[in-house]
Amino acid sequence: MSKSRPTYSPLYLDKTGKRHLIVSDTAEIPAEALADGVTPDMFDERWTIAGHSKAIPGTERGAVADHEFRSMNHLLIALRRRLGEEKMGFRLYAVGAEGFLWEVRTAAVVVGMGGGEVQLNQVGSQARRVFCNHCRTITEGVTTNIVECAGCGANLFVRDHFSRRLNAFAGFQVDAEEPGDIPEIEEIYR
Amino acid sequence: MSIAYKPDETFRDDFVYSNSDTAILRFPFPFIEDEYMYSVNIEPHVRGGETGAFEAVFDVDEHYIAECRERAMVLEQDPNRCMVLPHMMTAQWDTLELIMESLAEDYPEDFTLEKDGDAWTWTNRPLGIKDSFVFGDVDSLPLEPFEYITRQAQGDFTLQDQRENNLFMDGGMVTTQADWSLEFDLGMSFHEWHGPVPVAHEINVFDRALQYLLRLQYGNPVRRLNWTMTVNPRLDTSPENYPIWGPDRTTLTPENIGGKLHLRVELQTLFRLPRSNAILFGIRCYLASLDELTRVPKWGRRLHRVLRDLHPEIAEYKGTTRYREMAVDYLSQFDDGEPTSPGIGPDVESL
Amino acid sequence: MIRHDPLMLRVSRIESLSPTLRRIILKSADNEPLPVAGPGAHLSLTLASPKKVYRNSYSVVSFSGDHYELIVRRVEDSRGGSAFVHENLKEGDLLPSTVPLNLFPIQVGSRKRLLIGGGIGVTPLLSFAKVLQENGDRFEMHQFVREDEKAVFENLVQGVGSKNIHIHTRRPKEGEIQALLEEQPLGTSIYMCGPDGLMAAVDEAAETLGWPENHVHREVFGAAGGKPFKAKLAKSGCELEVGENQSLLEAIEEAGVPINSLCRGGACGACMTSLLEGDPEHRDHFLNNEEKDSGKLIMPCVSRAKSAQLVLDI
Repeated sequence: MSKSRPTYSPLYLDKTGKRHLIVSDTAEIPAEALADGVTPDMFDERWTIAGHSKAIPGTERGAVADHEFRSMNHLLIALRRRLGEEKMGFRLYAVGAEGFLWEVRTAAVVVGMGGGEVQLNQVGSQARRVFCNHCRTITEGVTTNIVECAGCGANLFVRDHFSRRLNAFAGFQVDAEEPGDIPEIEEIYR
Repeated sequence: MSIAYKPDETFRDDFVYSNSDTAILRFPFPFIEDEYMYSVNIEPHVRGGETGAFEAVFDVDEHYIAECRERAMVLEQDPNRCMVLPHMMTAQWDTLELIMESLAEDYPEDFTLEKDGDAWTWTNRPLGIKDSFVFGDVDSLPLEPFEYITRQAQGDFTLQDQRENNLFMDGGMVTTQADWSLEFDLGMSFHEWHGPVPVAHEINVFDRALQYLLRLQYGNPVRRLNWTMTVNPRLDTSPENYPIWGPDRTTLTPENIGGKLHLRVELQTLFRLPRSNAILFGIRCYLASLDELTRVPKWGRRLHRVLRDLHPEIAEYKGTTRYREMAVDYLSQFDDGEPTSPGIGPDVESL
Repeated sequence: MIRHDPLMLRVSRIESLSPTLRRIILKSADNEPLPVAGPGAHLSLTLASPKKVYRNSYSVVSFSGDHYELIVRRVEDSRGGSAFVHENLKEGDLLPSTVPLNLFPIQVGSRKRLLIGGGIGVTPLLSFAKVLQENGDRFEMHQFVREDEKAVFENLVQGVGSKNIHIHTRRPKEGEIQALLEEQPLGTSIYMCGPDGLMAAVDEAAETLGWPENHVHREVFGAAGGKPFKAKLAKSGCELEVGENQSLLEAIEEAGVPINSLCRGGACGACMTSLLEGDPEHRDHFLNNEEKDSGKLIMPCVSRAKSAQLVLDI
């Protein structure tokens, strides 16, 4: 728990919990997101994003079950409803891109879940969402150390400072002191 | 003693700002010795001490009226400089009570608080404000209580909620900051919002400071001094407006640095609030130019030595890289190599 | 408001609620406004009997600008403070007190609060229930009391005006706590105060049902005495007898050896002291299990000795 940039680790099954739901922003739960010895079938429910418009979750709940959703938003709508109805002892796990993880985490915090009840693990792209401190626009999918802001066009340096509330890294104009004085642009968040 | 306000001062554009002799002598010079390193330098916030800035719970000085006007301008241009999460309403009232009671007690000529049960009347003579309201009734004030009262105080304020053995920055009024963003940091835990600070994490300063603050008690506020440097007497050195003030850093020359480069000191105070159990964090900003500070011989010597020997990462974090060498060269003329006395006091009674 | 200890209070009214419960109303002795007591706050009173000076902490049941309300139970085998309040304290008496301290605040972020009290443990929960009710926050309170005190407690909670307060005139039945916890929505936090047995039952049920520790909050009060033992203070060279109705902290203070303290209830950590020799009986909630097992630290405000003697590094 040192700085603001989140650190992630493989998900383990929290045996103190009574019911376990894992959500993923991919069509399959990626095995590399799970700790050694943990398999997707150990979770009571698995929610995934199929990424096509005909996907539809099942109607059964609680028993070992797989549910497919069309998109992140489609899944989040069902998740918020579900969290509102759950009892204590529930554990939530999320794997996927960073933006997805913190959407899930925010949904959990809203209903009063805390510390040990939610586990997150980032898999896939390391691309960052970058919040422009000057114009407040979020630029998505940033893989470079410096990026042009989608809002005001400033050349933003991507800081290693992350806001869970905004679900984004901070960006500030790299050449504010001497306009045009821009360091070499490198791709570092793939 | 009544304060000789300077209502026409400005902190932007033409920068009409200076410190009187009185203001220089009461400047909270932050260096207790000739070198600087991070530490948990927290002490009880009791009246008295080595600087006049410690005489009141919330210090009011000659810049009060001008600083409040500057704050109003910043908020007009960017309302998100004041944000408070909805669960902090009790802490908002706690803050209003603390600031009103303290100002009225410390500066009875300027501020008055009259109470008849929950029916309160607040008079702020320097700003020409008089409002009657019901304590606890948001609709009875023109603004939410935290914004209402912090518009009438010098310095920034943040509200920290305490839960899960941590502190979360869940509100603030931040218009006179040293390059950090309330809007970005809102909701962060203690270690998260200190994330960008170098070196201190490695020496566990934040772990110890957090443990200390979690135990902060109502009625026993604490304080510390922090510092950085700012080109021009500009209060709003926010990340939001970095494109506007960043170029200032390229305007220093050996000829103008003495008047243009300012030591920026934060008198940080921490108060446990009684109803909400939140912590109010005051960050009161003082600005003085090198030329003003070096009128105190001890401070001239010490400032030269501190800047000359500053840890490179700290120098970088405080944004001094571009001009530090120039400042050290300039200040060397005020350092005759004589020893300095311990502590922050000026050692002189007049200039 | 910045006021420093001690606060001088005057006993304004004493009301007998039952043979073992007294309501004490305290006002400012110097007519200065009183510092605010938020929900969960307590006062540490200095109670000076002719024989002995006690420092006891009591939850503030209510605060109304000009007075604090306390309810004090006369405890059998009391350390003496509560017996003093019941037998000797009179209206008009002056009591030095700390500024209200709060080690048991209501924390934000929960969707619902479950308040569980036993006996006199009702006092901080009453202060919670009032504020939660006023703010429209979701809560449910269960208070376990003796049959003969039912009417007293019903009176006490009546002022809150909530239908979500339940008085039970018995100890919880087997499985009852578990059933209560099982039905709580995600995002519920427990606040409890009462006898060790009740709190242990809640802890156990919470653990069984997968409640994270940080959703379970407790007030611990009434640090009871125990077997007398000897304490040697290595640095100051004192040898003390810690009596059965006295804490180790009180014995150290009585000997005039400087020591920090704050909550005097094993929660805050202020009086933590290094232990050089002896087998401690840890009763605090500050040290973690590893620290307790190490036998190198002790909280003298509540903890005692299993061995005949402890040697402290002060």
